[in-house]
Amino acid sequence: MSALGLLLGLRLRRDRVQLALWIIGTAALALFATVSLADTFGSADERRTLLALAIATPAVLVFRGTPNGAGLDEVTFFAIFAFLALLAGLMSTFLAVRHTRGDEEQGRAEMVSATSAGRMTPVLATLVHGIGANAVLGAAVAVAFVAGGLDATGSGVAGAAVAACGVAFLAFGLFAAQVLRTSRGANGLSVAFVVGAYVLRGLGDAAGTASPDLLSVTPAWPSRLSPIGWAQRTGAWNQNDLMPLLLDLVFAAVLVAVVLALQSVRDTGASLLAPRAGRATAPAALSGSFGLAWRLTRAGVLAWAVGAFVAGVLATTLTTLVGRIGEQAPEVAATLGRLSRAGSTLEQALVATIFSLVGMLAAACAIQVMIRARQEETSGTAELLLGSSPVGRLRWAATYVGAGAVGIAIVLLAAFLGAVLGAAGGGETSAAIGDAAQAAVGQVPVALVFLGVALVVFVLLPALTVPLTWSLLGLATILGIFGGLIGLPEWIVDLSPFANSPVPAGDSVDWTGGVWMLVIAAAAITGGTVIAGRRELRTGG
Amino acid sequence: MDLSIFGAMSTPIQVRGLVKRFGRALALDSLDLEVASGEVHGFLGPNGAGKSTTIRILLGLARASAGEVTVFGRDPWKEASALHRLIAYVPGDVSIWPNLTGGEAVDLLGRLRGSPDDKAGYRGRRDRLVEAFQFDPRKKGRAYSKGNRQKVALIAAFATPADLYIMDEPTSGLDPLMEVVFDREVARVAAEGATVLLSSHILSEVEELCDRVSIIRAGRTVESGTLAELRHLTRTQITFSAEGQVDMAGDALKGAAAPGSLKGIPDVHDVIVDHGRLTFTIDSDRVAAVLPELARRNVQGLTVAPPSLEELFLRHYGDEIVPGRTSERAVAAARV
Repeated sequence: MSALGLLLGLRLRRDRVQLALWIIGTAALALFATVSLADTFGSADERRTLLALAIATPAVLVFRGTPNGAGLDEVTFFAIFAFLALLAGLMSTFLAVRHTRGDEEQGRAEMVSATSAGRMTPVLATLVHGIGANAVLGAAVAVAFVAGGLDATGSGVAGAAVAACGVAFLAFGLFAAQVLRTSRGANGLSVAFVVGAYVLRGLGDAAGTASPDLLSVTPAWPSRLSPIGWAQRTGAWNQNDLMPLLLDLVFAAVLVAVVLALQSVRDTGASLLAPRAGRATAPAALSGSFGLAWRLTRAGVLAWAVGAFVAGVLATTLTTLVGRIGEQAPEVAATLGRLSRAGSTLEQALVATIFSLVGMLAAACAIQVMIRARQEETSGTAELLLGSSPVGRLRWAATYVGAGAVGIAIVLLAAFLGAVLGAAGGGETSAAIGDAAQAAVGQVPVALVFLGVALVVFVLLPALTVPLTWSLLGLATILGIFGGLIGLPEWIVDLSPFANSPVPAGDSVDWTGGVWMLVIAAAAITGGTVIAGRRELRTGG
Repeated sequence: MDLSIFGAMSTPIQVRGLVKRFGRALALDSLDLEVASGEVHGFLGPNGAGKSTTIRILLGLARASAGEVTVFGRDPWKEASALHRLIAYVPGDVSIWPNLTGGEAVDLLGRLRGSPDDKAGYRGRRDRLVEAFQFDPRKKGRAYSKGNRQKVALIAAFATPADLYIMDEPTSGLDPLMEVVFDREVARVAAEGATVLLSSHILSEVEELCDRVSIIRAGRTVESGTLAELRHLTRTQITFSAEGQVDMAGDALKGAAAPGSLKGIPDVHDVIVDHGRLTFTIDSDRVAAVLPELARRNVQGLTVAPPSLEELFLRHYGDEIVPGRTSERAVAAARV
């Protein structure tokens, strides 16, 4: 078999689980969106009201796209396409970086390039692999739309649009891998580009011009600078025009040409931008095991905090808009009501909904800190620390619990500050700020529960730390935050910690669930730390 | 394109005036290296001397800034893929794919090299090597220790015949028993006519295996030749009991102050009396002349140690070990 074929096989082999999850997840989102829109906005009148409302509140267009007709299929494209393109972009850039810069950084590329594969074949194999992955993704999305009862031609166009975006971002990922020295840096640049393309399209869409019948919007110029904006102009199920996708493909072709040119002249392992020299001596903050744990986790914590801050801004900014929805579109209000607990006002429901997402971010932050402890254990650096300092196993584990707690506090505080800023920007009353403060404090128990659960998993089933903790969080999020929306029975929804967070309802807050979760979290953290003190380091399974 | 005929006819490695710059830093400063067909060539130098950089250029993984580099008469940067069919490479720090087993990684690397037509022959060699290196091919890549990851690259390299083996500190992480297996494999491929370039900072390894060695330092070749030629440059160490040789020891200590004046024995160097034993060194070609003199004095517990490359090495790098500017710099940094 040729080197290209072998390397392609290697890539498929390495990615088989990961890519299958990305593709199935993205297609499932497409299907879920179609079904739930058909369910919630079954009649053309309801959809017209929805579009009119969306056009009246550009903030919605930022996250969704531009309306392009009131048919169920057209509304589906408006509501979900940008998300699908975003997911295709992240899948593609991670894939591109993983197989190029990632391998170079690890030294594997050197061994492969010293065979007949040479320097170019690994890049070509990654390109073919990425295009193939996007073709499958596009087909899966198209099938999902057809399965949701939408017209096949439009489904095909929508699938092709998602795939074309993916290919454009794939090319950018390959480019970032050429430019930066580390896979971490290349992934960061790529994610910034993908999210930037999404936001640029959002701004352009929000600033667009609405048609007189309030059924469609022509995006403003910023959308025309974004690969997602180009693909959106296919107008799936309406114009069904594939021509705009040429822009995505030409963009990809130009970047690939640059990538191949760079790859053919640069040394393996070298990069266009040289890394800066770091500091020669440790700063004062880097002393002791907590200083180290914080240093290793702070970048992640800050990233989650930025997300939480944005969510906080949205929570209070959207509150103003919700009042209007409540008057004009009772069915939207009803949807929001289903997402939250009974007895809340609409504003409270919205703040609570968004803050349960903030709670999820805080829990994710806590999980990531515990995963860092696991990574320290597998990479051997924990052994180095424990073996060469008076820090014991118990204190070492407790250090990460402490870092996780600090992370949770920072994430929730960022969300609260965002909410205060959003409320101030919208000229809102102090009532909204009070609700936000309560909602933020209300997320402390659920985040601590996940910190405790992640610690217990890490201590008892270390090999499963990464998959099990993320799966538990994902399951709890789907059940607790979206379970009501997809009509699950209440007792199942209540299994999720998120469903038990104390939320403001009317003038009072029910803290029962919160208190119970604090008790559980305290037990898990105490037990986990004690066991950590007795357990030997486990680098393998 | 039949490269093997071509390969047999031209010098495997020819490097003249090789320069490699990384930005402003000069990694290789006019380096020369010549490896003849069928020889095992030791490539010696301390960390940071430029061994790995040279090897990466020979493999076409990095490009020379200036100078002439040919592998089997060809430019490794331009014709990397074709040349790599003739070359087996073992890096010093092997990283393998976390979710592939060691056995899968070995086979993949073998196939990427362009595995030979005889599948049965490959199987046989691979199974023999797996056995010899006591390697468990069923574990996932992430579960291997450094030494075991090294074995993956070694087994892949030796399981498929090559005209040229390039190895960058290949035994790092291997235990002494496995080093014996490695030595045997190198001897085997050399006997079959292959050329081997073996970089190392472990002198004993090179001393046992290599026909010729090149010593580099700070990106420049400082010494190159057969072991016999280089040994000529080193001195033999002679040690015997100082008991009953008090006069001689006294003379010897005086001799240390003024080399060459040791009574009856000309040109002695580095005279030391320590723990009741007297030690000095002498140019290797004068050993025979000294022995009758020692016999006349009836010395006890005589040892004559052959010259080691260690000595040569220390002579070339010795000044780096002497504390000086480095420690001053460290002190200055500590004050800041």
